Amino acid sequence: MTASDVLFIIFGVIAAACALYGVLTRYLLRSIVALGAFLTAVAGEFYLLAADFVAVVQIFVYVGGIVVLMLFALMLSTSGERQPLAGSDRRGLGSLLAYVLGGMVVWATVGTRLPVVPGRLPASVPYLGRALLGGQVFAFEVLGVILLAAVVAALALVRSERL
Amino acid sequence: MSTVLTLGEGFGLGVVAFTLVGAITTVFVLLERRVSARIQMRVGPTRTGPHGLLQTIADIVKLLVKEDVRPEYADPVAFRLGPMLTAVPAVLSFVVIPFGAPLVMRALNVGIVYFLAVPGMTVVGLLLAGWASYDNYSFLGGLRSSAQFISYEIPRTLAVVTVVMLAGSLNTVDLLDAQKPVPYIVLLPVSFVIYMATTLAEVNRIPFDIPEAESELVAGYHTEYSGFRWSLFFLAEYGALYAAAAFATLLFLGGGNGPVLPAVVWFVGKSLVVVFVFMWVRWTLPRFRADQLMRLAWKVFLPASLVNLVLAAFVMMAVGS
Amino acid sequence: MTPVLILSGILFAIGVFGVLTRRNAITMLVAVEIMMNAANLNMVAFSRLYHPELMTGQVLAVFGIGVAASEAAVGLALILTIYRRYGSTDVDRVDLLKG
Repeated sequence: MTASDVLFIIFGVIAAACALYGVLTRYLLRSIVALGAFLTAVAGEFYLLAADFVAVVQIFVYVGGIVVLMLFALMLSTSGERQPLAGSDRRGLGSLLAYVLGGMVVWATVGTRLPVVPGRLPASVPYLGRALLGGQVFAFEVLGVILLAAVVAALALVRSERL
Repeated sequence: MSTVLTLGEGFGLGVVAFTLVGAITTVFVLLERRVSARIQMRVGPTRTGPHGLLQTIADIVKLLVKEDVRPEYADPVAFRLGPMLTAVPAVLSFVVIPFGAPLVMRALNVGIVYFLAVPGMTVVGLLLAGWASYDNYSFLGGLRSSAQFISYEIPRTLAVVTVVMLAGSLNTVDLLDAQKPVPYIVLLPVSFVIYMATTLAEVNRIPFDIPEAESELVAGYHTEYSGFRWSLFFLAEYGALYAAAAFATLLFLGGGNGPVLPAVVWFVGKSLVVVFVFMWVRWTLPRFRADQLMRLAWKVFLPASLVNLVLAAFVMMAVGS
Repeated sequence: MTPVLILSGILFAIGVFGVLTRRNAITMLVAVEIMMNAANLNMVAFSRLYHPELMTGQVLAVFGIGVAASEAAVGLALILTIYRRYGSTDVDRVDLLKG
């Protein structure tokens, strides 16, 4: 039971608990904050899986960008009311599907004999850099175009009609 | 057993980081008051203790005994979480700063990106604090503060990317070795200027302090806070200020390198010079209006940092180093 | 390795539950992000198994994060537009195409 295992369990429990709270709570703001905590726990998991660059990118983009976006959207769309949201009448179907899906994944995982994980690479950044700008450079450039298109689209959508 | 030791070490480092930021805040509050006083041709606090050294202790005692007020309509979760989410990233960013070569808490291989990413979480805290206070001025202050922060994040990151291109590594400790011949302020002066200006905007210091301008928005997003919660915001501000100054000495001034004296002394000395420059700017310049500020970020700093990045890349390729 | 995969499966299931159950557009987006992160976790875990020096899983995770950012930006812009039009972000109210 190394320190990594203990941390894995801690981050995993935090992630699952925050995700559960995020989808079950009736308050919008708490749902978004729970998402923020979930994303940070997942970043911790990434770090434990020797993906340190992915972990910091997760914090940079997801927590520092997407959660902020959601909070802005929340503040611009609730006009000051802080009422709890109504519950849902589809809880039964939703939880059934979730159990079935989760059960299938867990059963498939437990039943598979995975090969032994090779040792940890010395540092992920040089390899990641070589992959991104070497083998996967086309996808990398396309990602840039996607981001540009998203920025233009978002601007076009929220522009006030009077302008 | 080693598990307990590793976890204990991690926890201990966290405590050390918090204590460090607390000590820094204590020193800098007093430093700011004395520096600002001298710039304004007066003396500043000199009566509490010898040369006013106990002034911050007195301030802390005053803050701790104040009543913890919460506005009636404030959302309790967000109101409490806001200050915490602003203070914790400021403390966390100290983890990768090497105070002289061996004294670093964790020499992460992605240290530089970590240092740029973790303060991004403070925006969440700012928005929560502004919104939860249920008061127009706080809300406006929180929105302006977050908009300013995320706008200036991009030019700042691009300026740091030029340094990373030269150094060839994202590890903060490698930056010290890479600057042994020449500190990067000589090689990348434009990046240095961009970094200093955008950092002032990130830390909400004048000339970019519209979010907390006393004459404009009462006190911005921390209007409704009192006592210990308010001091958390202060901790966040001065902690982030020193972290940014330390990062500037690391990136551009070759923090820790220098003859004769031990590396720690050089590092602390250089970073204090940078902090002094920040304070000097604050008490000399007037502040930008909110729209001037945003225009500056998107129409001046972003193109400038992009052009700087491309030029630096060209020069590096041409010189071949 | 197996515990990570089980964790990502559970997180994905929680996300599915959220998407099916929630009525507010922003909380649905929260659940979608939970699903995407579960998938990223899975990819990063698998990238350690075969040819770790190629970092395929981590590259895919980075792309996933980038695409999620653009999707969240456009999605939230859409939510704001819907709010302006309908006065609420409840997805059950957006039913102009309904028979």
